[in-house]
Parts: sequence; C-alpha cells; structure tokens
Amino acid sequence: MAGNIEVKKAACYFCHMNCGMLVHVEDGVVKKVTGDPEHPFNQGAQCPRGASAIDHLNHINRVNYPLKRVGERGSGNFKRVSWEEALEDIAARLKKYKAEYGAESIATAGGTNRTDDWARRRFFNLLGSPNVVHTSPVCWIPNFLIETAIYGWSAFDPEIMGSRCVVVWGHNPGASYLPEMRGLLEAREKNGTKIIVIDPRYSETAARADIWLPIRPGSDCALALAWLNVIINEELYDADFVENWTVGFEELRERVQEYTPEWAEAKTWVPAERIAMAARTYATSRPACIQWGVATDQLGRATSAVAQARAVLRAICGNLDVPGGDVMPGPHPTFITDVEMELNELLPEEQRAKQLGADRFKLSTWPGYKLLNEQLQRVWGKGLPAEWMCEASPPVLWRAILTGKPYPVKALIVLADNPLSSYANSRLVYEALNKLDLLVVMDYWLTPTAALADYVLPAASWLERPVLTTTYGVSDWLIASERAIQPLYERKTDYDFWRALGIKMGQGEYWPWQTNEEVFQYRLESLGYGLETYEDFVRGVRFDFAPREYYKYLEKGFATPSGKVELKSSILETLGYDPLPHYVEPPFSPEATPELARDYPLILIAGGGFMPFFHSEHRQITRLRLLHPEPRVAINPELAQKLAIKEGDWVWIETPKGKVKQRAKITTAVPPGVVQAERGWWYPEKGVKDLFGIWESNINVCLDDDPDTCDPACGSWCTRTILCRIAKVEG
Amino acid sequence: MHWGMVIDLRRCIGCHACTVACQVENKLPLNERWNKVFTVGPEGEFPLVTSHFLPRPCMHCQDAPCVDGCPTGASQRRPDGIIIVHGERCIGCKFCMLVCPYGVRQFAAEKGIVQKCHLCYERLERGEMPRCVETCQLKARHAGDLDDPGSEVTALIKQANARPLYPYLGTKPSVYYIFP
Ligand code: SF4
Ligand code: SF4
Ligand code: SF4
Repeated sequence: MAGNIEVKKAACYFCHMNCGMLVHVEDGVVKKVTGDPEHPFNQGAQCPRGASAIDHLNHINRVNYPLKRVGERGSGNFKRVSWEEALEDIAARLKKYKAEYGAESIATAGGTNRTDDWARRRFFNLLGSPNVVHTSPVCWIPNFLIETAIYGWSAFDPEIMGSRCVVVWGHNPGASYLPEMRGLLEAREKNGTKIIVIDPRYSETAARADIWLPIRPGSDCALALAWLNVIINEELYDADFVENWTVGFEELRERVQEYTPEWAEAKTWVPAERIAMAARTYATSRPACIQWGVATDQLGRATSAVAQARAVLRAICGNLDVPGGDVMPGPHPTFITDVEMELNELLPEEQRAKQLGADRFKLSTWPGYKLLNEQLQRVWGKGLPAEWMCEASPPVLWRAILTGKPYPVKALIVLADNPLSSYANSRLVYEALNKLDLLVVMDYWLTPTAALADYVLPAASWLERPVLTTTYGVSDWLIASERAIQPLYERKTDYDFWRALGIKMGQGEYWPWQTNEEVFQYRLESLGYGLETYEDFVRGVRFDFAPREYYKYLEKGFATPSGKVELKSSILETLGYDPLPHYVEPPFSPEATPELARDYPLILIAGGGFMPFFHSEHRQITRLRLLHPEPRVAINPELAQKLAIKEGDWVWIETPKGKVKQRAKITTAVPPGVVQAERGWWYPEKGVKDLFGIWESNINVCLDDDPDTCDPACGSWCTRTILCRIAKVEG
Repeated sequence: MHWGMVIDLRRCIGCHACTVACQVENKLPLNERWNKVFTVGPEGEFPLVTSHFLPRPCMHCQDAPCVDGCPTGASQRRPDGIIIVHGERCIGCKFCMLVCPYGVRQFAAEKGIVQKCHLCYERLERGEMPRCVETCQLKARHAGDLDDPGSEVTALIKQANARPLYPYLGTKPSVYYIFP
C-alpha cells in the first residue's frame, strides 16, 4: 500500500448508538470516515453527523489548547496556558475549597454520555464530594430506577425482532436513533410486528405506526393506568406469571378501578374506545415490548408515576425477560463494569449524607441507591453505577451555589455538558455559574457555558479516543473501538484529565493506568481472551455479547426484597412514596394550574430531538447547519391563523419564566392548542461576548425547575408540558 | 447492464445522511447538493395526517432531455445507463438545467460548470455501492442492474410496484420509488 494507510475501527460518539466506523488514516491524517459494515448497529451506515465527522475533527473553532480567563467573567477574554499550569492552579484551588468549606463545596456537571463517566465518579469519590450532577433526572434514570425498584433491573432491552407488538412511548427513533428505527420497520416487514406509537405529536415514527395515540402532552400516566384498568378487568394479563411471580396484585386491581378508559379520555384527549383497543392489542399480542423513550422522564412531578404504571403493565402482561419481550440484560458477568471502577465505597457515609437533594429526591440519590444495591448485589452480583443512578439534584445545586445553603458550593467542573442550554431555568443557571469561585469547562468548543469559565480545557473527540461501549455497565454486552489518531493539538480525553488532576490532588495510587487503552485493557482482562493490547482486542474480538439468557428469574428470582415483581413496591414504600401506580398531573397544565392557563393558554412541548442535531451540539458544523439553520416552533395552521402568524415568521414563546423566539413552522403535526419548540439552540456564530445568543432561542429560558415542581422520587423537572403564549415578533 | 436505483419511501425518514454523505464523497461545496431530500406533508387535519420524505438524486433518464439539449456533448449517457457530465467539456451554459424536469442539476459556480449525481460510477466500478446507498441507516436506498431479472432492484420493483417519479414526462428514469 502507498504511504501509511490504515483502517481503524472507531466508534462514533455523536449520539448514544456508538455506531461502528471505519476510519481511513494516511500518515496520521484522517482521510475518510465510513460506516463499519461489520458493526451490528449501523451495519455500514451513517447518519448525517457521522458522515460529516471530519468537519468536526478539523473545525477551525475547536478548542485546541487550555485557556485561562483574563479579565471579567464572561468578557470572553482568554489566554493560552499550558496544561501543567492549568491543572496546577485548579488543583491548588480545589484543595483550598476542600480545606475551607469541605469537599462537598466542589461539584461537577455532566451531560449525555460522551465520557468515561466512571472516571469522574472515581475522582469525586476520592475527593470526598457527593455532588455530581448530570441531566440524568430528565434522561432514562427515573425509568431505570423505578423499574429496578419494582423488578430488580431495568427491562430496557426490548427484543423488537421477535416481538409481535412494539410500543414506542414518548420516543421518536425516526429522528434520534436511526438504527432502532430500522429495526422497527424491519420487524414489521418480516414478522408483521404491530407498532403502537404514543406521542402528542405526529412524529417521523408516528407516521409509520399501526396505531398512533396522540395524547395530550404529559398525560402518559393516565393512558398507562387506563391500559391497566382494561387489561385487568378484561383479564388479558398473564395469570400464571401474576400468580407465581408478583406480589400486590389484589391491591393493584383495586387501585386501578378508578382509572377507566372514560376517565382517561378526559385526561388524554384520546377516545376511550381507542385507548381500550390499543390496550387490548398490546396485551393480546404476546410477546410484546415497550421501548424506552425520553419524553416521560421529563414530566416534572408526574415522571416516576408514569414509569411505575408502565413497569407494572409490562410485568402483568408477562413480557418481562421473555424472548421478544422486555429483556432485563443484567450486568456483564465477566468484564469489570463501571460501578466496579467507581470506588464508591471510599466515599464516607457522612459525605453521602450531604449530597444535595438527597433529603427529598430519595430514589435517585444515596438513600435509594443503597436500598436498590443491596438487592442487586444479592441477585446479580453487581450493582448499578453511582454515576447517573445516584446523583445530586441540579436544581438544588444551582440554588446552593446562589444561596450558600445548606452549605457553600464554590467550584464546578463541567465536562460533556453545557448547562446554560441543557438545564431548565437558564437565567438561574446563569446566575449560579457567575457566582462560582471556580468554573472549569472541558469541551470541544467555546460554548455559552465555557464562555463564563475560568478555565476551558480542550477535549478529544471520538476520532481521537478509544471508546468502550458498555451502556454504563448495565447491559450484558460490550463493544470496543480504537482511536483513529492521537489527539490533535493539546486535546485530551476526560480520562486523561481526571487522572492528571487526580494525581495533582494526591490520588496517584488510584490512577495506575496511564492511558484509556491501558485502563480498558485492564477492564477486559477478566474476559479471558488473553490479548496483549487493547488494539488487539478491537481488531480480533471487538464485541462481547454474553449469551442471551431469558427467564433468569426462574433461577435467580427478581432482585427485590420479596424476590418477586413488586406491583406494590416495598422499596418505594420504604422511601416514603406511593407503592402502587397512581395518577399524577404534571405541574403545569390547565388542570394543575388553571390561573396560569388564563394568561398562558397554550401547551408547550419544549423538547424532542431532531436531525441533524443532537442536544445542543453541532450548530457550528456548517454542512449540517445549512440543513436546519434556525430553530423552529411547530404551530397548527388553525392557531397560526388566529394569531396571524405565517410560515417562517419569528415568534415569541413566553412563559412566566421568560421568552425566546423561534421561527414558525406551520404544520398539522401538532393540534391547535399545542406548540412544540426545538431545544438546544445557541448560535456559535454570534460570538463569545453575546454568549453566543444563548438568550435568544434557548427554550430552557422558559422552563421552571422549582424543586417543588420536580418529581418527588427522582427530581425530574418538567419540559414536555408547560403553559405558554405565543405572538408574532413585530418589526 | 443498466444501473438504476430503488428508493423505498416507506423507510426513508428524511435524515439527510444521504445528502451529506454525497457532499463529502464528491467534495462538493457546502451549498451544492446532488441529492436533496424533500418533506411531503403532513397533509390532512390533526390527527388524521399523512406524510413522507422524498430523496431526489439524478433520475438517470434513458431518454434524457439534458443529454439531448447539451450543445457541447458534455452531458452523456454511458453504455451502462448512467448520465454523466464531462467537466472539461461543459461550458456552463446551464441549458441542461433548464430542460431537466427533475431540477437535480447544480451550477458549480467556482468551477463554472454544471454538476450532478453521477450514481457514484467510480465506486460502482470498484464494486462498491453508491455512497448514499451505503450510508442510509434505514436501508431505504438500493442500487443495481435493472436489466438483470435476478437483481435486488428488479425484485423490489416487481414486489413493491415501484415506479419512477412523474413517469408521464416520458424521460424513462432509472430511479424508482416505492411509495408509501
Ligand atoms: S439516508 Fe436514507 S433515510 Fe436518510 S434521508 Fe437519505 S434515503 Fe432517507
Ligand atoms: S433527471 Fe435531469 S439531469 Fe438527470 S438524467 Fe434526467 S433530465 Fe438529465
Ligand atoms: S449516487 Fe453518488 S452522486 Fe448520486 S446522490 Fe448518491 S452519493 Fe451522490
């Protein structure tokens, strides 16, 4: 071969799928990035983000060197410093805060998994602070934890291919997880699998559904309860399973009597008969599965109630851990999972007790984590990672920074996150970030959050780092991928960062592995392949899918206190929550807040992924931005006509928290009383002094995160059903 | 041998990966797209609505007005049915753009010539699929020999009753669509 051409097996990190990529590298330069045909997820394909990977790698605006703020916070003036200087100063200041205010005065914020999260947790456990936050309360974790409380793991691995009916609930894989969408369509083509989509909006996925239930935003709980009512009263459940493997069925039966389809019709705006018909379809098509969707994790105080009703639904229909059903993968038996890397045992009890929000959001913090893990250890031999599953509450953290109560929080390290665009109540987040003594941001770009930082550190992206895909260590498989090239400029991986900072903080003995490859190799050794290097593993093995086991409960039982599925959950009861499914109205709705509805008569959906972006990312990739240059708010033609709004007009979206503008997209995909805004918008082209236009269109400006409106068990704030009004931007 | 394409609109979800991959593969400027994807709908009143997406590469017409209309012979039909533009012969008169009923030709301003989808013939010659076919996560796109009764594309056309876009134009396109 001419030159030095190599093809590396990398993994894309622009979303969670971690599609396999073949990267053609010539003399250390990335020439071409294509999909890896041998990869089970993408099978050689790419989405637009993956296809434009080189634009991201070589973008002129990437942060390439450590930057230190000079001048006022937010002035946007930085100077280049060495890694050594930056780490030295950061470490010295962290030591000072720890000595003066306690380790809990140091916090960290993360976002969508794009990092070796266990390394963050390891650093913080060794430091002694429980104050790690993520967007976890609004992404997956409430579902995971509620399910784990009820049946001892999350049944998050729906076996679509063998299923006769798939329920896609608050999820739009057609715009977010394309390989998943392919799976759905193929299942229908090959096996006649029925697809039921539950979504207030006519999404890309709803457009392909056999049954689409366009519910009122946020009324998911009512729908789930009505399904339970129909299925129990019409005896469509799996009587054997209920008899042998559940506790609390009689109480459940009694409880759901009030939740008739007629009752749910008023709540969901879906005719009772259609609700019942869909329930029958689901219950009588066995095996069936329910895919996880993010929308119901974002219903504020109604969040865990939905998860609870749905978990019970899966269980009584006999779909748990059966082929073609909702499989509970369990942790990988042999390789070292995330939780085993975290060193949670080194965080002292007294520090755990200080975790912000642990006194009220008990399931997603140390109290719940402890109860759950006792059961998980017994049955699975491994627990859940603390990272994501046991976290401080972001809304409580912002308030602690601002008020110094219950104690001062002085420093925040942000990595793989842009809190100004990804958490609700952006103005409050802004004030909190400004109040910090030390803000460190590691990122690819100067984001609005990075613009406020004292230090901005350059992050390596997926072409520059190896990726070990383990779904946080909660699934029974792994996929290993290598780096295509060494990081360009002075970019580093998050592992390199935590390790280097850890060593400066005196944690040296706990960071023996110099590189990502070394630590990955260590984690894989117990698989017994006996390979010399991590790269050998990638080239020769790459995947390890533990043999699929079904009906694991027959031997192990369920990892709950009773060993059965707890339709009436003792763990929820112990923590002080309603142990049985029940209805909760989201915090903002015409029903919950009628006074507010007078001034803000429309229901706002402030979320939902859309191509070609992922969360707040990729706005600076021109090739992608040209496909979708501006934020758009979906408005029904009837409403638009009433308000004299035309296609493409700038429209104010206003709530009591604030207002932002987006362009009108007139569409019958939403009903007249509902508008859907796009999330994640900032304008990288607008410059650091304006904080990249973060106040202009960022819908999180309009959302509230008052802890009283958050989910009592998991602290989720509400994004999917808000009250608002809209008006054309004049002039 | 007659190269053609089948695009399954029941599968396409309008992600634009094909558009982007085509741009990268063919090193196109950011504003030049050989494969645009259009959104059709939603039509109807909520919730009784329908919609689909329509990717639109060059149709590789067998009676191609662009070839007939090209004064320099830059636009040509290859023996394998692929319609190409010889860059060095193109004088940028844009007549082909005027007569192409599918609007797929693009003026490459910095080169002063007209360009368009060439079905990735160089890839086909290397035994690879067109880049847009390769990249589609939904496997909505298929390329193959329309003359071969045993090929995947002919089978799909038969099974799913695929038809070209606007067949009444009489240009005999080599791109077929499976409509939802
Ligand atoms: S890549 Fe496939 S699914 Fe995406 S727009 Fe193109 S044809 Fe449609
Ligand atoms: S679609 Fe247009 S450019 Fe392509 S062959 Fe037909 S007439 Fe020519
Ligand atoms: S066949 Fe090749 S040139 Fe034509 S649209 Fe697809 S990628 Fe672009």
